[in-house]
Amino acid sequence: MRQSDHEVPTRLERAAGDLIGLAADPPEDFALRVLRRVGIQREQYDTYVRLETPAGGLFVAAGPDAVTGAALDSAGLTATAFEERHRVRTHRSAIPATKPFPGVVTALRTGRARRLPIDLSGLTTAERAVLEAVRTIPPGQLRPVGWIAREAEVPATAVVGALARNPVAVLIPSHRVTHDGGAPCDADLVPGAGDALRAAEGVDLDREVELRRGGVVFLGSDTTRIYCHPTCAHARRIVPRHQVPFRTAREAGRAGYRACKSCRPVTV
Amino acid sequence: MDEKAEQQLTELLAADLDGGFTELVRVHGRSVYTFLLRVSGSRTEADDLGQDAFLRAYTALQGYDPERRRELKPRAWLLTIAANVWRNHVRTCTRRPALTGVPVEEAAGSWTDHRPGPEERAALSDDRRRLVSALLKLPEHQRMAVVLRHVMGMSYAEVAEVQGCPVGTAKAQVSRGLRSLRQLLDPEVPVLEEVTT
Repeated sequence: MRQSDHEVPTRLERAAGDLIGLAADPPEDFALRVLRRVGIQREQYDTYVRLETPAGGLFVAAGPDAVTGAALDSAGLTATAFEERHRVRTHRSAIPATKPFPGVVTALRTGRARRLPIDLSGLTTAERAVLEAVRTIPPGQLRPVGWIAREAEVPATAVVGALARNPVAVLIPSHRVTHDGGAPCDADLVPGAGDALRAAEGVDLDREVELRRGGVVFLGSDTTRIYCHPTCAHARRIVPRHQVPFRTAREAGRAGYRACKSCRPVTV
Repeated sequence: MDEKAEQQLTELLAADLDGGFTELVRVHGRSVYTFLLRVSGSRTEADDLGQDAFLRAYTALQGYDPERRRELKPRAWLLTIAANVWRNHVRTCTRRPALTGVPVEEAAGSWTDHRPGPEERAALSDDRRRLVSALLKLPEHQRMAVVLRHVMGMSYAEVAEVQGCPVGTAKAQVSRGLRSLRQLLDPEVPVLEEVTT
């Protein structure tokens, strides 16, 4: 038995090493049931779930009345890391739950999250105005930074900073904001996530790139003499032979076109 | 969990009981559940006893003044409660008529369905399953010590605090536990006693 002489400590250690792997996750609603049973007020904590989106899993945290935070896990974010970040930002505990906040699943499926109650109380007035403006962009459409600045009544320089601090990823659709040249901002998203979200909403990415290369910012129709953002629902139904591209709003105005009343391009 | 986070937690507990308790459940729920699962060997029981342990913890916290809550070492304290809940549970179960005639020591080791349930069996690899069942064959105090030290990765000082014994005793329990564990896993290889002279 000389062999086992050497093996004893290593085997013992191996048994000890394997034991670490026996740490187990409790059932998903374990913590929530504890809090309910103890009788902690619902206002004291947020609950969160992980939902699937085209850009990977999305953690969505919500209080009793509104969504308070969301983050994509595509950047390697674990549930624990999300809880910690939520704690630091909102000073509220995020408890895992099995049921998402009412309306969140529908909002993610349709891309229409405009009416979803979202709590932005931790932000400055300007940041809140920017994010509220971003929320009004319809699914499948893109708006430039200048448009957001006008809607939110803030200087254009403040927009990208506010987008980068978006606490509710995807549900506040910052992936629908582009720079004035047409290139996507994606200030708060990891590379690739923005494209995945836009493609899932039916934005034609190749067409966007082509328009951008030609310097086209607006599309007009020579039958109606109205010009729009190229992703506006009205612009998308102009047939190719009636499309009139414009580089600036001034150019369109000089050609006798008026701005679309749905997508409201910046006219200055 | 590092010291700074631990301190933040106790500060919060001292300032706001409900908020602090919520945070306590969020941060340490997994530890309490893992401990109870590995000691009892049953998911349903770990769940029930975990709920009980936290309820007792909350009741106790209500009676503490803020100063005492600030002094708390949350994880060791919670696991002490969980260990007590488990011991009480074992004792209660031994009193049930179905088990009359079985000596207490044996009942303690054989009470619950120690076999992992179907859910767990599917998730576990063969090696892991052997380890889990070997763990459940250890005597009560050794099993607790081994789980605390090697599954949860606590220091011997913390283990001793939870077990309510001196540090040396905790070390001995862990070491004996590991040795019997090894013997259960490989019965052919004899355990060599360490020669100290």
